[in-house]
Amino acid sequence: MPDQDKDKTAVVPSPTATEIPAATPPAQQAKPVAVTEEASSQYFFGEPLVGFDPSEITGSLVVIEGMDGSGRSTQIALLQEWLESEGFAVQTSGLRRSNLVGRDIDELLAKNAVTRLTLALMYATDFFDQVEHRILPALRSGTVVLADRFIFTLIARGVVRGINRDYMSGLYAMALRPHLTFWLNVRPETAFGREFKKAQAISYWEAGRDMSLSHDLYWSFIRYQTMIKREFEVMAKKNSFIELDGEASVSAVNKQLRQRIGEQLGIRATKYTPSAALAHLWR
Amino acid sequence: MEIQDTAVKAPRAEPAKSTLPQPGRPVPSRAYPGALIVVEGTDGSGKSTQLYLLKRWLEIGGYRLHFTEWNSSPLVKSATRRGKQRRLLTPTTFSLLHAADFADRCERQIMPLLQGDYLVLADRYIYTAFARDAARGCPARWLRNLYRFAPIPDITFYFRAPLDVAVHRILSGRPKLKYYEAGMDLGMSYDRSESFRLFQARILEEYDKMVDSDSFVVLDGTLPVNKLQKQMRDIVASKIDLKRFAPRAPEAE
Repeated sequence: MPDQDKDKTAVVPSPTATEIPAATPPAQQAKPVAVTEEASSQYFFGEPLVGFDPSEITGSLVVIEGMDGSGRSTQIALLQEWLESEGFAVQTSGLRRSNLVGRDIDELLAKNAVTRLTLALMYATDFFDQVEHRILPALRSGTVVLADRFIFTLIARGVVRGINRDYMSGLYAMALRPHLTFWLNVRPETAFGREFKKAQAISYWEAGRDMSLSHDLYWSFIRYQTMIKREFEVMAKKNSFIELDGEASVSAVNKQLRQRIGEQLGIRATKYTPSAALAHLWR
Repeated sequence: MEIQDTAVKAPRAEPAKSTLPQPGRPVPSRAYPGALIVVEGTDGSGKSTQLYLLKRWLEIGGYRLHFTEWNSSPLVKSATRRGKQRRLLTPTTFSLLHAADFADRCERQIMPLLQGDYLVLADRYIYTAFARDAARGCPARWLRNLYRFAPIPDITFYFRAPLDVAVHRILSGRPKLKYYEAGMDLGMSYDRSESFRLFQARILEEYDKMVDSDSFVVLDGTLPVNKLQKQMRDIVASKIDLKRFAPRAPEAE
């Protein structure tokens, strides 16, 4: 991975590094983390994460974003199989999967008695717990991390609920910058059909029912997901999203994903047909 | 010229709509009729005793008030307990979890009470997080943003006690310090008391930095309790129009 060698040389001690120990505990002073502001913005959206040295990263962080029903989980299952068959170790992450608060958020959602700000902060806790205990250890050991959603969904959900946009992005200033961010873009109408087919119902939160957009479940879903989609359009340019047509066939979307990920990881031939276990996803 | 300029540009008080709290935006004290009094200081600085006495004084006088404590929301309690027991918390998640807890309390207690014209007394406030989390190494800018939704207090009392006094008060009264309380996660010392001391020293340093920027009213935590309470009551009476929170006179029959 030639890109990452380049990254390492970018982390050089700078005059500003002398200011850092004042805010850093002695335990971490023992192995000083010399991150210049410029270098840190290459790894993080804003601020460097406490006690973490970005030069240790040897793996790749690949993010798949998109609304419910955009095909994210299907694509991640296929990509994981493909990467493993190519000899890459894979770790996955996703919302509400942290050991720290994953289940607590499930409970909050079930009870539906939580305010928007508290929920946003619980999701942030869940996110950073996974960054620190799942994503970073994997990236340090050269693993490819496939993230099923990332800060962009979380920021969009907060913003459409009226939380200040700068506040939301400030919250995630210490998030790692992904190597690749894919956006599987689908129309809310298509997503509705796919989601309905999965469960024969639409959940309270998927439809944004907490926002009182419409008493009609269909229109609530469409309006909510359209608002989210608009936020994604705002973020897409700033964060160099790779936008893919999520309405194309699974195999066509997968081919494009493999090509871009192949470039990143230096895999030349990106031919792939799923094993029998995953063949049902291939349509 | 300049004066005229600002006079023209200064936005008028916004209409009723903006008095609703906007998450992620600071809430100035004129956005609601209530008043917020906060006590801050290191462990053992005497702040809780003093706030209790202030509360008694106001309660006995019949004022409309509510008392709120740091880290008391049941919503996030189980997560915090689990995180502490299993030592899963890092400086970042420790900070976020406490912010979630505070947000819940802020949106469901503090803001509604302030909107409802109550006097709200808070034992520890966002400055506790600023001091403690900065002592753990969290970036100050990130922390300031994290708590930007919090209403700005009308008075923030900062009880300052020398490190030795405060540490002695805690160590002599508590059988065993807890892991995070002693700052053991920072790896400064294997000895809990020593770690606690080092951690408190940093917190004290962070508090001192905020005295001017956050207009703390500094009180000397080593003064006798009743003297200190007298000062506190005088300041409250001079800075807050207590009549507004007084009980309505019983109607004449």
